[in-house]
Amino acid sequence: MSVWIDSLLAVLAVFLAVRCLLAPTLPQCVFLFFAFGLALALAWARLGAVDVAIAEAAIAAGFLGVLLIDALRDFAAPRTHGETAQKPHFLTQVLLGAGLVVFLYVALEAVWNVPDGGGLTALAADNLPRSGVDHPVTAVLLNYRSYDTWLEVGVVLMALLALFATGGKELFRRPVVGAVDPLLRQVILFFTPVLFLVGAFLLYLGKTEPGGAFQAAVLWGAAGILLHLGGWPVFAAMPRWTRQVLLTAGFGFFLLLGFIFMSGGSALFEYPVAYAGVLILIVETLAALSIAAALTAIFAYFNGMKAASVENEIPDPS
Amino acid sequence: METYQIYSLASAVLFVVGLAGIFAARHFFKKIIATKIMGGGVFLCFVSFAERDALAFADPVPHAMVITGIVVAVSAAAFALALSRRIQQLTGQESFPVDE
Repeated sequence: MSVWIDSLLAVLAVFLAVRCLLAPTLPQCVFLFFAFGLALALAWARLGAVDVAIAEAAIAAGFLGVLLIDALRDFAAPRTHGETAQKPHFLTQVLLGAGLVVFLYVALEAVWNVPDGGGLTALAADNLPRSGVDHPVTAVLLNYRSYDTWLEVGVVLMALLALFATGGKELFRRPVVGAVDPLLRQVILFFTPVLFLVGAFLLYLGKTEPGGAFQAAVLWGAAGILLHLGGWPVFAAMPRWTRQVLLTAGFGFFLLLGFIFMSGGSALFEYPVAYAGVLILIVETLAALSIAAALTAIFAYFNGMKAASVENEIPDPS
Repeated sequence: METYQIYSLASAVLFVVGLAGIFAARHFFKKIIATKIMGGGVFLCFVSFAERDALAFADPVPHAMVITGIVVAVSAAAFALALSRRIQQLTGQESFPVDE
């Protein structure tokens, strides 16, 4: 029975991916991509990876979906981009098809015959009492492999800086285009504290159950994005130094902690066993705040890109 | 057939579907989504092998790597999307020009 459910889910994911790439219009493509992300999230829940399922549904389908829909405003002009596009040469198509078939065979062969190394499950389980948390995934993320997590917080910060480089760093200040529905404003005001509380709950829950810094960060980021859409640009309204501190707090504190304990003779990011739980909670909170601020800023920037292009278009006909 | 094997086979197919999309799609937007589908295939492969190596719980190391990977992939996609929007705003182009 469960084999059937899993097979159906796998076929569904592949089907949605193919449909998404073959969709004739961009909005269809984006919504099929949402559906694909949620199918993947279900697959991960079936595989026992609840943390990954939450992260996928929240960040990859949710947050990226918001950015894609926002970008549709630039691209959704009813212009058929196929009219000027020539079909590639026949030989090119045949060679590409043949190459992909060979590659598919190699990939299937590779995943079918992957050597059985036993994995790191036993090692992770043995060290769990010394990690300061009870949930193995949180232990890996913030204790065994906190180097990866530290760099990841850095990557989000880098992505924001790279965005600022594409169109000028002041774009995130621009207000939302158009009037804001008063009903929407009230709903947003009602949901902001709820989102904040649920985020804080997920953050604390990460100690023992699936949940943690990233999931909390996305909820807090969602609150920031909603407030921005409701006409309260929280990120832009903050003083400059607050923005800088918020964005770099997670990355900076992580690094500071690593070096403090390194100077005491332990390895980088090796926490003393007695304080590990408290330290992980502090690091998680600061990392979640930083990522949430970065997500809000990325969205505000995207929104500002359209506002800037609308302003530029007005004097154009004259 | 074990559960993880179904998903690991699906992950290989997804990777190739995404790869085909990158070559075949013309629009920037679809190329970015195709890379995301490729990434989805890679993550699915990781998580399916985490399930294979499960003892009392599934192998947490691939799970943590995938969570990290999802956030990094989304950051990269956001940057790519901003670049493509900027190109569209400045030049009106929505796909790479074709050489004759």
